[in-house]
Amino acid sequence: MYTSWNRRDFLRKSSAATIAAFAAGVPLTNSLSSCNSKKINSSADTVILLWMAGGMSHTDTFDPKKFTPFSKGMMANDVLSTFQSVPTALDGVYFSEGLGSIGKIMDKGTLIRSYVAADMGHILHSRHQYHWHTCYKPPQSVSAPHIGSWIAKELGAVNPVIPAFIDIGQRFTLGEEEELKAFHTAGFLGNEFGPFMIPDPSAGLESVKPPVGMSINRFEKRNQLYNELMSNSATGEFGSDYQKESLRRSMEQAYILLKSPEAAAFDLNNEPKESYDIYNTGKFGLGCLMARRLTEKGARFISVTTEYEPFKNWDTHDNGHTRLVDMKKQIDGPVARLIKDLERSGHLDRTLVILASEFSRDMMVEGRPDLKVEEQVNQPDIIQDIKNYGMHRHFTDGGSILMFGGGIKKGNVYGKTADERPCKTVEKPIMVEQVHQTIYHALGIAEDTHYLVEKRPFYTTPDGLGKVELELFK
Amino acid sequence: MKISTKKLFLRKKALVVIGMIGVIWLLQLTFSGFVQPASATPTASNNFWLWQFFGRLHPLAVHFPLGLLLFAAILELITIRNFSSHLRPGINLLVIAGVIASIFSAVLGLLLSRQGDYGKDLLGLHQWVGIATVLSGVITWFLLNRILVTKKISLIKYYRGILFFCAAVLSVTGHFGASLTHGKDYLSATLPWSADYTGTKAGDFNLSSFKNDTAQLTKKQEAELNVAVRAILAHNCYKCHSAEKIKGDLRLDRKDMIFKGGENGPVVIPGNPGESEIFRRITLPANHKDAMPSKGKKLADADIAVINFWIQKGAPWTEGVEKNIFRVAELQPRNPPLPLAPENLTNPLDKWTNQYFIKNKMSWPQVVDDRTFLRRVSLDLIGMLPKQEEVDTFIKDNRADKRALWIKQLLNRQDDYATHWLSFWNDALRNDYTGTGYITGGRYEITDWLYKSIRSNKPYNEFVKELISPTKASKGFIEGIKWRGVVNASQRTEMQAAQNISQVFLGLNLKCTSCHNSFISDWKLNDAYAFANIFADSSLEINRCDKPTGKYTNARMLWKELGTIDSSAKKSIKRAQLADIIIKPSNGRLYRTIVNRIWAQIMGRGIVEPVDVMDNEPWSQDLLDWMAFNFQQNKSDIKELLYLITTSNTYQLPSVGFKDPNKIILQDYKFTGMLRKRMSAEQFADAAGTIIAPLFYDSMVMYKPFPKMGDYHFARASLVINNSFLTALGRPNRETTSTGRESQANLLQALELTNGERFNSMIGRGAITWQKKYVTSDRVIKEIYSQALGRDAQPKEYQIAKKLLGDTPAIDGIQDLFWSILLLPEFQIIY
Repeated sequence: MYTSWNRRDFLRKSSAATIAAFAAGVPLTNSLSSCNSKKINSSADTVILLWMAGGMSHTDTFDPKKFTPFSKGMMANDVLSTFQSVPTALDGVYFSEGLGSIGKIMDKGTLIRSYVAADMGHILHSRHQYHWHTCYKPPQSVSAPHIGSWIAKELGAVNPVIPAFIDIGQRFTLGEEEELKAFHTAGFLGNEFGPFMIPDPSAGLESVKPPVGMSINRFEKRNQLYNELMSNSATGEFGSDYQKESLRRSMEQAYILLKSPEAAAFDLNNEPKESYDIYNTGKFGLGCLMARRLTEKGARFISVTTEYEPFKNWDTHDNGHTRLVDMKKQIDGPVARLIKDLERSGHLDRTLVILASEFSRDMMVEGRPDLKVEEQVNQPDIIQDIKNYGMHRHFTDGGSILMFGGGIKKGNVYGKTADERPCKTVEKPIMVEQVHQTIYHALGIAEDTHYLVEKRPFYTTPDGLGKVELELFK
Repeated sequence: MKISTKKLFLRKKALVVIGMIGVIWLLQLTFSGFVQPASATPTASNNFWLWQFFGRLHPLAVHFPLGLLLFAAILELITIRNFSSHLRPGINLLVIAGVIASIFSAVLGLLLSRQGDYGKDLLGLHQWVGIATVLSGVITWFLLNRILVTKKISLIKYYRGILFFCAAVLSVTGHFGASLTHGKDYLSATLPWSADYTGTKAGDFNLSSFKNDTAQLTKKQEAELNVAVRAILAHNCYKCHSAEKIKGDLRLDRKDMIFKGGENGPVVIPGNPGESEIFRRITLPANHKDAMPSKGKKLADADIAVINFWIQKGAPWTEGVEKNIFRVAELQPRNPPLPLAPENLTNPLDKWTNQYFIKNKMSWPQVVDDRTFLRRVSLDLIGMLPKQEEVDTFIKDNRADKRALWIKQLLNRQDDYATHWLSFWNDALRNDYTGTGYITGGRYEITDWLYKSIRSNKPYNEFVKELISPTKASKGFIEGIKWRGVVNASQRTEMQAAQNISQVFLGLNLKCTSCHNSFISDWKLNDAYAFANIFADSSLEINRCDKPTGKYTNARMLWKELGTIDSSAKKSIKRAQLADIIIKPSNGRLYRTIVNRIWAQIMGRGIVEPVDVMDNEPWSQDLLDWMAFNFQQNKSDIKELLYLITTSNTYQLPSVGFKDPNKIILQDYKFTGMLRKRMSAEQFADAAGTIIAPLFYDSMVMYKPFPKMGDYHFARASLVINNSFLTALGRPNRETTSTGRESQANLLQALELTNGERFNSMIGRGAITWQKKYVTSDRVIKEIYSQALGRDAQPKEYQIAKKLLGDTPAIDGIQDLFWSILLLPEFQIIY
């Protein structure tokens, strides 16, 4: 295992400080120290979040119900699943067709079939994604940190040259980018803990190597020049000022990262062809590959997304069935391979992999079964066209999450949804607060970890009340 | 040899003692030896309940030998001159009882060591010295016995020596034992010089500081303690025990209610935590049926300690005197008469500084030279580095009042000035070209209004008025950001308006208060709703912690004495009324807040810090009051204020560096001059753009206030859409108001500067231009030092640069030189 020698001493004295706007440009994190009551033993060092952006229907993926094939003139209300069910490694547990590879590795992890998304009136991707990633419902009067930022802040990097919070696959140019940016942030924890964005994994190396067109030799010389000029600049005049020190330190850190051997982990061209081909189902698959490579070199939190783009990918407002065939192709091979590779290299034990989505989908029900929601997808009662065949409405009362490694039980199924519409959670509902607290618990971050922001406590989960679901652990 | 009965009796006892010691050794051997006692896996026999029970009596039993033997030693010391004092029989009894008790304790201790998760090093130590205690105790007894029987006076000194030794070892044992129970740093952590010192920064509740004090708490301490307790109760108990939900007939949010208790009687017995039901409940194990909180997590140990201490101290509840708990700043304006000062100090601010310096026994340093001054004042007023020609002209300018004249000139560069201050106001008013809410019509931009207002130097009172009682162009601030769907009651747009107006214009935090009564001020939930009602069509239902209460309140200004709002009026009328009230000259708070913000922006630190907490103590009340009063009198003219500040010697003092930013914000801060600031994202981008090549072009400009970009060939950073470069350098996403920026560098920022595409391609473009323009290396070196750093390269620097460039500079070389210079702290810091 990679020792986390750079890990912060996260059990601090509860010397609470206040963040507020300081004119001196005092970094927020300087005046912060986390408060929590006890130390817990960790079962994971690294978290990989596989994000199914846009709302992944549970009945067409990991929780299939009765299959009704497409025929013209069919009744929409009869359709619960638009795919056949296929067996998995677990007796009596079936996945939707197209997810066979993941099915085969379910003996290595836990399948949660009882995720319940929050009720926030309108069922909107922007708000639910914000909620899933920060554990807080927008808007907030202070800027809430992404879960990756919390983890980066509490634990620091595993390997100091690999940024603690890496976000792979999301561009901010496809629509609703402001809503996406609103939670891709370290919020009040300060920029230092923000995401290191790699929008395109195949160009990942560019982010961690010297500028385009610069040889390593020149890069080294440039750095040397900088250091020489720095030590000869009017040093006396500026003393060991804190801004100067912090700039010098950061530049040095960047230099070390950019020429470190670990940077090669970002280079997917180094991957053997056989393995590369299995991962190469598109950006998401290559993101999984990069996540694996970084985990092997010591990463803390990596998010790999299928990418959110309004009405694209998992955001199926039409042609749900047809499009899911493609989506499953994107994820099935890479996710299964990722788990197997991590297991083979011995990293799975201390790496928690989570596959999740902001909410589920259903053909008929938008939001909760008993609610009518504005702006829901128009779904004809009688289907004539295949474009209306699929799960197109946003559903919050049930959903699936996968978890592997990091101390999570193997071959376990948690929770259950009804077999008839509405296919809502009927056993062991689990909300985002519990999911977050469970992740923090695996990492050894105490459940009442919080900071005082403008003299108000701000916890990892609202009011620190998120409960760990211990049943998910071995 | 004849043996007396008494002797026989004693001898028997001695045998018993020796037997017991034997038992201890035997136990030691049986239970895995005492070198690694705790690491051994407990066997079934070790876990037998009775042994466990006895074992747990150890912490109780140990107090007997401690008390008895120590007291025996003390009495022995007192009677050191007279062995046969009348205390003799008592001492003898104490010794005997003490030794027996120590043997029992040792046995119980061994049983206990089988159970707990004790660190083995400390446990080992504790055991060894424990055994030593028992042995020395037995020897003491033996010697004492010999003396009493044989009357051998010569043994007395040995007996006494070994008794004192025994007492000493016993104390050590006790210390290790206590360390096992309470933690090693239990005692030492309270010492100020300890690394584990739990004392905290100003403003935090610090229980240990109370405990070190004498028994009697001052009124202020009582109030602070009570506030801490109420914060704990509010966050852990109010959910079920306050106005909205009164489980078990118990309310903990009011003095009368908390002391009345619940359905089972009183919960707090002042002075007696042990008898207090509330203390019993919060200290129960989490799974106990009586444990509180019954839902949610157990209270933190620190919180429990505070409750315990509070009850011990008689559970003070300081209603009535609340007004005195928190420092509350004066609302009324005040115009203190200017102090006398030497004739050369004509600027009124300097007279105050002079008085401050005298009071603090400081002397006036020399003001900075012309070059430093021009660089500083240009960056501060218009956000740009001065051009080389400007610096030269300025230095050559012989007019006595040239600094004031140049400041005027800078302030008259209206577009440059407005473009710079636009960033400051965009942050504060959370206005941006893009952001959440715009796509769904839940948010409005105010850029055009804002830019024009800054450019025309709109009087600040009108500026505020137009934001609160807005036109279409300025409504974006109070309309807030509306997310579709259901949002938390404390985040509806009316409440956002209340929070933002109080924070930005009044330096007051209403965020706590919009959810529940504040624990950090005297403001109440009601006050926040009354204020928010001004922005609502009809009164809002009061929600406490997002739970509807069914109650309503009127529309009201936070300070009633400033004026009244007509609750029944339309929203637009109420807002207009508020606007008139808030800008009244008698609202000293509005004017103090803005002059403090501007001062902080220029001087690197406010007179009051944090700038959003105007109730905090200023380092000079007179200076703040005088400036605020005269600012208001002087038509609330921001440019005049900037002129006043920047023309002062106070501003022109040498800048002050600091190592620990946390010290800067302490309330005992001493002003010695402007604090060094790091350039903002925009200042840095614009400065680089001035010298090297544009980072942003006209095509990226989101707001075009003027057709041509002034004298510059690039777009100023404050006018472009936020991007990864600006974000990395600290431009906030303007989802919430932000009144200060981080000036600390970090890895993500350094990466953006080291291999970021935008920055490196800018350098690349600049290198081409420079190569054509300056041709020789000497010229390039001379120009970059003079344009970027405002000075010539020193010989050493010249050598280094020349070595890189050779005689004729290549593009690569110029690029690398640019990069190194732009990243020098000397370039990035405003000094």
